[in-house]
Amino acid sequence: MLVFHEFSGPVERIMTGKERVSIRFVINGRPVSMEVDAGETALHAIRGRLGFKGTKEGCGMGECGACTIVVDGRAVNACLLLAAQLDGRDVLTVEGLDSPLGLHPLQEALVEHHAVQCGFCTPGFLMSAYALLKENPSPSREEVLRALSGNLCRCTGYEQLLRAVEAASQKMNPRR
Amino acid sequence: MGCGLRYVRASSLEEALALMAEDGEGTRPLAGGTDLMVELRRGGISGGCILDISRVPELRRIEVEEGEVRIGACVTFSEILEHKGLKEAAPVLQKASGTIGSPQIRNVATLGGNVANSSPAADSIPALLVHESKVVLASLEGWRELPLESFLVGPYRNARRPQELIVGLVLQRMGAGCYWDFLKVARRKALAIARLNLALLVRKDSEGRLGLVRVALGAATPTPRRMESVERMLSGRPLSEGLLWEAAGLLAHEMVGQAGVRASTAYKSVAVQGLLVRSLLPVLNGSWKG
Repeated sequence: MLVFHEFSGPVERIMTGKERVSIRFVINGRPVSMEVDAGETALHAIRGRLGFKGTKEGCGMGECGACTIVVDGRAVNACLLLAAQLDGRDVLTVEGLDSPLGLHPLQEALVEHHAVQCGFCTPGFLMSAYALLKENPSPSREEVLRALSGNLCRCTGYEQLLRAVEAASQKMNPRR
Repeated sequence: MGCGLRYVRASSLEEALALMAEDGEGTRPLAGGTDLMVELRRGGISGGCILDISRVPELRRIEVEEGEVRIGACVTFSEILEHKGLKEAAPVLQKASGTIGSPQIRNVATLGGNVANSSPAADSIPALLVHESKVVLASLEGWRELPLESFLVGPYRNARRPQELIVGLVLQRMGAGCYWDFLKVARRKALAIARLNLALLVRKDSEGRLGLVRVALGAATPTPRRMESVERMLSGRPLSEGLLWEAAGLLAHEMVGQAGVRASTAYKSVAVQGLLVRSLLPVLNGSWKG
């Protein structure tokens, strides 16, 4: 009889990490737990699987800002984040902006100042502006420009957006 | 998605190093992920393991000490920008950090990741070079420090061994009375890869001569580097507009010598002179403000 153990080949490598990862996080105030693929983007999990369609995929590589969400108070591109990285985080998408009382002042201001045309970039702009005003309630024009510099709009133009964010900031902090 | 790719998050440096020791070749460290995710989307990562080190506390610190500044590999560019102590201790790095990507990217992208990616156009690298930075590497075998110049071995290539992690960077703390700047030429201000970037740190004595001179150039040569011949030309001589242009000419000459003539040379060899002159003119005419 042949002895196979001499030809048993390389020992199977210990495989660290998992192909499917269990995560728990809060989205728009509600706790969620789900299983995600190791390489799945946060954008895919949020938009594709949880159905928060306000978070758009534009370029998919961090250039356009259409997928901007707020994670632990900071604006980030959901396309450049792994879903697994959301574990334990507090996530806000555009669906979490309004309240039973109505639209968020930023959303109202975008409507009032005609800052929405096709609407594809709008949720991303809103989330960038939201993160700015949380951190800095009375930003200068320069600061607004800088905060929105990671978001592209290809139809409305930026003037209306700037004016809308400034108006919302004044409305939310009248003592400016 | 799937196809054998795995994910694990380390909660301590020790755990991260143990995971690197197990299979360093097949493991991709993820600090912010802004480069890794683009590669993943392109299909450049098919298997192996993503090791998420973004929450390792040892890699998230900024320590400003008397002679040096230590910045953990997983400190984000937003954190560098917002850190009050760095305004005096490492202002060139702070200014360079503000030119990277967009707010969304700066909120996750890390200093260690920018150095690990080793792009010729990385904005943090020329700044780190004028701060005389060293890269701190660790594996279960031990720690080592390498000057950033010798860490960078080519475009997107560096001296990190497969089982090592970049733990952080050690910068020389900027002394008093220095002038500095970081300038970048790109297609636009946000979300733009540098076509050229230049970091400058000098000290002028009472007779108007430059004592300490450090000039680093990026996006122009295979790896960003200090331009030592230009530094020597500027050192110890009274600063004048003539000397500035002479040094600028030498800088362009050095750039072409190191990078060869390329399609962009006609533009870059003029633009790079403008960068050096623009960074030093305020020092010459006394209009410099930090």
